[in-house]
Amino acid sequence: MSMLLKISWRNIWRQKKRSLIVMSSIVVGTAAVLMMDSFSMGFVYQQLNNQISSHVGHFQINSKGYNANKVIKNRIKHPSEIEKKLKKLNFVQAYSRRVLAFGMLSSAEGSTGITMVGIDADNEAKITSIKSQIIKGQYIGNNPRDIIISSAVAKKLNVDIDGKIVMMAASTSGKVQSELFRVKGIFKTNNSSFDKTHIFIPIHTAQKLLNIGQDITQFVVLTDNLDKIDLYKNKLNQVIDDKYEVLSYKDILPLLVFYIELSIEMMALMYVIIGIAILFGIINTMLMSVFERIQEFGVLMSIGMKSRQIFIMVIQEAFILGVLGTIAGFIVGYVIYLYFAVNGMDLSAFSDSLVSFGVGSVIYPKIDVNVMYRALFIIPLTTVVGAVYPALKAIRLQPTDAMRYI
Amino acid sequence: MAILRTENLYKVYDSNGISVTALQDINLEIHTGDFMVLAGPSGSGKTTLLNLLGSLDKPTKGKVFFDGEDLAVKTKKELSNIRLNKMGFIFQAYNLIPVLTAVENVEFPMMLLGYNEKDRRKKAVEIMSYLGIEDLVNKRPNQMSGGQQQRVAVARAIVNDPHVVLADEPTANLDSKSGANLLDLMGKMNREKNITFIFASHDFHVIERAKILVKIEDGKIIENQTA
Repeated sequence: MSMLLKISWRNIWRQKKRSLIVMSSIVVGTAAVLMMDSFSMGFVYQQLNNQISSHVGHFQINSKGYNANKVIKNRIKHPSEIEKKLKKLNFVQAYSRRVLAFGMLSSAEGSTGITMVGIDADNEAKITSIKSQIIKGQYIGNNPRDIIISSAVAKKLNVDIDGKIVMMAASTSGKVQSELFRVKGIFKTNNSSFDKTHIFIPIHTAQKLLNIGQDITQFVVLTDNLDKIDLYKNKLNQVIDDKYEVLSYKDILPLLVFYIELSIEMMALMYVIIGIAILFGIINTMLMSVFERIQEFGVLMSIGMKSRQIFIMVIQEAFILGVLGTIAGFIVGYVIYLYFAVNGMDLSAFSDSLVSFGVGSVIYPKIDVNVMYRALFIIPLTTVVGAVYPALKAIRLQPTDAMRYI
Repeated sequence: MAILRTENLYKVYDSNGISVTALQDINLEIHTGDFMVLAGPSGSGKTTLLNLLGSLDKPTKGKVFFDGEDLAVKTKKELSNIRLNKMGFIFQAYNLIPVLTAVENVEFPMMLLGYNEKDRRKKAVEIMSYLGIEDLVNKRPNQMSGGQQQRVAVARAIVNDPHVVLADEPTANLDSKSGANLLDLMGKMNREKNITFIFASHDFHVIERAKILVKIEDGKIIENQTA
């Protein structure tokens, strides 16, 4: 250890209580921001993952114009063209065909407007979590009249498993067609607004109802890495004909992506607020520490210590406080994080509002590299900034003035 | 050539609009190997003069030359380097760094010069042995007596082989025996190592050992006698 570092280290422990109090504030601050940051990240990414896994997938490939005007006219007429290309891409883990249309769902006791999703049941199960979210009955099987609906829709239409439902939708000719279904399963996702507006039927039944032959509305695609989404989008765009459009989850869920960015910015604001609180604590502590050692600085200057070295020594003291406090705070925060990462934070009391956000009633915190970077680097940096003013005070004095200082 | 020379030196302190002249028209020459005492009553200006000679303060008027160079034109960093390489300081209150052990205190100026740990430890222990305080190596200042602390301060002052050592009332806080021992030690270093010593003191025991006695009163040199 260099002697300057040794002096800084020992100076910290000259006033043990004071140093421990400052360090405690850093520990609490670091643990608090780590928890807030990880819960905030967990909240938004849970929202995103729920959306991706319940319906959106990583990519959707539509006929150009479908996203702006979701009508059956804007459909994919030769899906095998795209399918051949998807099969060749090694980053594509799974894909599935879908037929989507708006329509009316009726039972003997009520009706509701709905988005009908015709799915290839086996492939869809590889991409979305609908199958695992069946809470009653079963997933779509071989029967063309199978339908799975959400518990919210089941409640509204007052139907249960094996109950009869009629789906009505306009075919390509504009003629309203209808089809009778039997409820095969009831699902419940973490997104109440999705549940109220979506039902699933076999894709061939949907094609028949809409009279579109083998045409489909979209492909939903799952890749091997969500973090490479922009790179994969470029690759997909290179191989997919430009009469189709490739939309990533970012294009499909712009509000959610905006919300994630907003959350990160809000956390940055939180770091600033906690940083300022720590900053004033450090300035106060270091000023006290500097003022009670002014004579000592005078002696150090007298024997030839340069201003730069004194400045570094004071900054080092604050930095050590910051680093020790941050490490301890990070450990405390990480232990709390580990507990909640396994058990989740049960917010059932607010489950109605959380489900409407598409989150679920149990929040699992998430720590990624950015969260760790922010927690581990910002606070020690703040302590250094906080020590600059006291350090400047220490070096501005003449040696004799410093030694005369009372 | 004089190692230190002052030319029409004035120092005026301004306190709440009231000017106090601490030194006026000081002309002094100090040569290598001198054992000089600046003597005078409290408030006479001897510490002020010592501080100006040691480049710890700036004169209001006049010049201080060290090795023929005008200190007024030197930057803060250059003055630090001069103090570090060519001067040693001993203070009345010892002023050791409280968080360092005796040997670390002695090593400190060498650390500032960039010596490696091994070399500086070796030299520090050698100096401490020369001064007879090798048994204090691992003691912290608060574990030592005043006399012991002042000897460590002397070791720190001479460890970088300075041309001149400036000592401000070095015996003031010591009992007569410790003070005498310390003066013996400094006299020995003056004779054996040809280190120039300048004392500011009104202690009779210091004054009687001076080779050159400069008496100061009311900021003026009233007598400059060589023994």
